[in-house]
Amino acid sequence: MSFVELKSVVKRYGTNTVLQDVDLSIEKGEIVAIIGRSGSGKSTLLRCINGLEPVQGGEVIVDGVAVHDPAANLRELRARVGIVFQSFNLFPHLTVERNITLGPTIVKGIAAKDAAVLAREALRKVGLEEKIHAYADELSGGQQQRVAIARSLAMSPHIMLFDEITSALDPELVGEVLLVLEAMARDGMTMLLVTHEMNFARRVAHRVVFMNQGKVWEQGPAQAFFADPKTDELKAFLNSVLH
Amino acid sequence: MIRELAPLDLYYLVLAVRWTVALTLLALAGGSIIGVFVAAGGAAHHALPRLLARSYVGLVQGIPLLAWLFIFYFGLSIVGYDLPPLIAATVGFSVYAGAFLGEIWRGALIAIPRTQWEAGTAIGLTYLEQLRHVIIPQAVRIAIPPTVGFLVQLIKNTSLAAVIGFVELTREGQMTTAATFQPFAVYLLVAALYFSLCYPLTRYSRILEGRRRVVR
Amino acid sequence: MSYTFQFRDVFAQRDAILDGLVVTLELSAVTITLGFVLGTLAAVVLVYGRPWARRIMRMYIEVIRNTPLIVQLFLIFFGLPGIGIRLDVMTASVLALTINLTAYTAEIVRAGFESVPKSQLEAGVSLGLTGPQIFRHVVLLPAIKAVYPSLTSQFVLLMLATSIVSQISAADLFHAGSIIQSRTFRDFEVYTVISLLYLSLTLLMRGGFSLLYHLLFRRP
Repeated sequence: MSFVELKSVVKRYGTNTVLQDVDLSIEKGEIVAIIGRSGSGKSTLLRCINGLEPVQGGEVIVDGVAVHDPAANLRELRARVGIVFQSFNLFPHLTVERNITLGPTIVKGIAAKDAAVLAREALRKVGLEEKIHAYADELSGGQQQRVAIARSLAMSPHIMLFDEITSALDPELVGEVLLVLEAMARDGMTMLLVTHEMNFARRVAHRVVFMNQGKVWEQGPAQAFFADPKTDELKAFLNSVLH
Repeated sequence: MIRELAPLDLYYLVLAVRWTVALTLLALAGGSIIGVFVAAGGAAHHALPRLLARSYVGLVQGIPLLAWLFIFYFGLSIVGYDLPPLIAATVGFSVYAGAFLGEIWRGALIAIPRTQWEAGTAIGLTYLEQLRHVIIPQAVRIAIPPTVGFLVQLIKNTSLAAVIGFVELTREGQMTTAATFQPFAVYLLVAALYFSLCYPLTRYSRILEGRRRVVR
Repeated sequence: MSYTFQFRDVFAQRDAILDGLVVTLELSAVTITLGFVLGTLAAVVLVYGRPWARRIMRMYIEVIRNTPLIVQLFLIFFGLPGIGIRLDVMTASVLALTINLTAYTAEIVRAGFESVPKSQLEAGVSLGLTGPQIFRHVVLLPAIKAVYPSLTSQFVLLMLATSIVSQISAADLFHAGSIIQSRTFRDFEVYTVISLLYLSLTLLMRGGFSLLYHLLFRRP
């Protein structure tokens, strides 16, 4: 049984079918990059994995939990599934420290003192220890995104989902965030990234998935995927983004 | 002599609604005239009109409406005239409405981007000409929903005219209560009549609000 | 035809004015506190409650916001005795003003709740927080901050509206006016002085709320 299993997943918004019969498995420790055009369903796919989006058909099983089941208690699972969003979504009225300790103290019942230690450790991993008492609007985009990563890390997740986390950043700030991701990869974290950063995907990911028209169109080991695309659609897509 | 609450009383209450509506329209007219100056002054480029407008709004909004009514009712009588309640009420409500309408319309004026003003200056229009041909037509569309919303406030405000003796709906209610000793039923009817005036306007202003957002 | 303004006579009655001022302040303080708390709770029901509760709350708010305060006051003070509930002047005043303010506050705070972006809620959900936890930690403070100007304006409006209780002979600042008026026959001067006092209260309240904003929401 893979860590994440998607079987014949169907997702609709009204009459618009965004995911059509998607099959995908992610193993523990794998780093998988998902690429594709806007509207291909890749962000939606990610959001179905932690239950932010309900599915209309098929199965989504994460770490043994049937996410697609409306009766499932996802709260417990979400403590094990970290997600980082394109627009960071830090809580503006809380300090960086409180942003990070909120989950551990409230959801996992960890004592405040221990949570503070966790926060410091998470910030150290993303290189922002000195910003522990700052507020979100005092930080640059890259720094906010790194804090968002630290916020998810502090929950000790078994898998991290990244939804185009560098797309909203100024180009010069992207590098610092990718460095953090590379460090996480070296530490053996299971990672699923929806991204436009092709070079990063080629270097760091184990496997790359190409989504097109709501389906998994082509997938394969990273190096071969970029060097030798099999389908015409993938070839066309890579041509348009890798000029 | 107490009499029973009769359908005739409801009839007189409904008739009194005419005066509520009349007073509202008078206040709207008077308030609009004042409001135009307050809005234009408040959005002006020079500091002096802005100061005058802001002071007017601050003064009027810092004093209860009841006090304004009393000031005009008693104050104008010192000039010799025993002011009929209708005039005193109209003046008082107009002064009050002028401040609020002025603020609403000033808000609509400053919502127009600076670039529109610059375009007007570039083709040589004066401040007043810019207002008339470029800014106001656009501002009016923005101002309509909150103005309709304020109309609801005006209708409710006219109830205070009863206190200075003007016979509109609330005063008619007081008199009917005195005659029938049925305050609960009477004021319930009065409230229902106000509701029938205000609620449709409230709904309408919400529709206008929604339509505006869709257009954007 | 000339008229000399005689403020001295009014000044001689300053005790009556002071007593009235105290009552206005007390009424305002009590009503604003109650109205804010109840209004926030009402907004919670309005936004997060069951459909039937939301409908009832919506009806209550529309009825209050589309009828005049003075009629609500008369209904409570003069009308309720007709069905067996007799309230004293002060209780009726607080009740009417609170019921009124709660409805307006609920609308304002509702807008505040709805102004919190969905993405914030998603971040909370993704961390594993429950609905009530998200409300308490992610929604409440930013919502209040967002609507603080509307909210405090409404409170100032309420303080001014307390003058209406003079019409059921509550001994507030405005009522002091009619007392002094009957003693001194200085109508214009009396209401000018009282109006200036209300204006001072308005300025003090606005300043106070501004200070409160800096204490609550601005950081060192």
